[in-house]
Amino acid sequence: MNICVCVGSSCHLKGSYNIIALMKSAIAEHQLEDKVNLCAAFCLGKCSTVGVNIKIDDEIVTGVTPENFNQVFEEKVLGGLAK
Amino acid sequence: MNNLWTDFGYISLNHVGEQLCGDRVEIIGDNENSMTMVLADGLGSGVKANILSTLTSKIICTMMANGMPIEECVDTIVKTLPVCSVRKVAYSTFTIIRITNNSVAEIIQFDNPNVILLRGGKSVEYPIISRVIEGKTILESKISLQLHDVFIAMSDGAIYAGVGKSMNFGWQRENIIEFAERVYDDTLSAKLISSLIVDECNKLYEGEPGDDTTVAAVRIRERAPVNLLFGPPADPKDCTKMMTLFFSKEGKKIVCGGTTSKIAADYLHEPITTSLDYGSDPDIPPVGHVKGIDLVTEGVITMSRVVQYAKEFLNNSDLQNMWSLQTDGASLIAQMLFEYATDINFFVGKAINPAHQNPDLPITFGIKIQIVHELTDCLEKMGKQVKVSYF
Repeated sequence: MNICVCVGSSCHLKGSYNIIALMKSAIAEHQLEDKVNLCAAFCLGKCSTVGVNIKIDDEIVTGVTPENFNQVFEEKVLGGLAK
Repeated sequence: MNNLWTDFGYISLNHVGEQLCGDRVEIIGDNENSMTMVLADGLGSGVKANILSTLTSKIICTMMANGMPIEECVDTIVKTLPVCSVRKVAYSTFTIIRITNNSVAEIIQFDNPNVILLRGGKSVEYPIISRVIEGKTILESKISLQLHDVFIAMSDGAIYAGVGKSMNFGWQRENIIEFAERVYDDTLSAKLISSLIVDECNKLYEGEPGDDTTVAAVRIRERAPVNLLFGPPADPKDCTKMMTLFFSKEGKKIVCGGTTSKIAADYLHEPITTSLDYGSDPDIPPVGHVKGIDLVTEGVITMSRVVQYAKEFLNNSDLQNMWSLQTDGASLIAQMLFEYATDINFFVGKAINPAHQNPDLPITFGIKIQIVHELTDCLEKMGKQVKVSYF
């Protein structure tokens, strides 16, 4: 699974740095290093008002914040891997 | 025209307890024709010295730049400077270095420590003719330039550094030559050479300079063009034209902006890889890599920081530049533009990013154009040749 966190201007201002840090620790916590490839991406073209955009394989998930991070991670990452 | 370029740089330390510097460096002219640098050291320290040296350097610079002979400049200075009520003299020493067509240097010196010439990193003697104008002994030299020649001018504060503190007689001109030869490297900018020497003086003064201390360096280097692409063109149909022009330019290539780098990468048929590494500064988005482009960064946030670094650099207050050591996108751009480049070509796209058209976002089209204006202004003040093309 490829996860790209947007580090474009808009997402950067809304906390890409924190989301990348959370993502790194969540991947380590679930020992998914072999299954998940984490990378950064320039603007995904979906700049929104709240949160950071991430791309999980071909799906773009918008508005990821530290508050909803765990929910997104469980649903999209763990859920996606379980399929 | 040859392929040489003149790089100027200087830095001053104030007499301990003074807010104004009694030394003054003025630079005028453009690199294509002739550049004149004047270092003036006003009598005493503080306000009076500052006024004397400012008047001296400004008057000489303006007159020399307009082709007036040195006799007239000196005559004007002698007749214009206000007379000090305590010492009953109007006095400011000066050093003039004029570089013409990047091929000949003329040096005119009055009472400052003699200019040091480093050729290939070693100090060499140069012919000096002395003559008396208005009762003052003026030293004149004319030197044909070679690549990597470095001229180091200084106020007498530099050679008195350490008097009565870490040394009995200060460090002499010979010691400064030794020090300069030891630290010399072809890649050191004029500003860095000056900073290194002034730092050493400050150390000898134990952080409390007993006199205003200024070192100004002039360095002859090769021209180095850098091209910077910032933003996609207003009309998407112009993409190919913009990319063709950009990539056909000689020199280093920097691409700023996410969408912009995608367009550039598509043009080159190369993938973009974006690093997750924030370097030393989490405020600046990570850089990307595209084969065939020297540096790929995010746009407005990175460039805003570059403008900030440029302003601090010009303020001359930063002895240790943060950006010269860091590896984030903004610092890398600063290193390339401020230190490496002599000629800079900006390719600015005026497209409005639809994703940024949200009143809640602090990014607007206006910021981009403003950044380009401010940065151009700063780079020109650093003596760079800047061209901006809009698409």
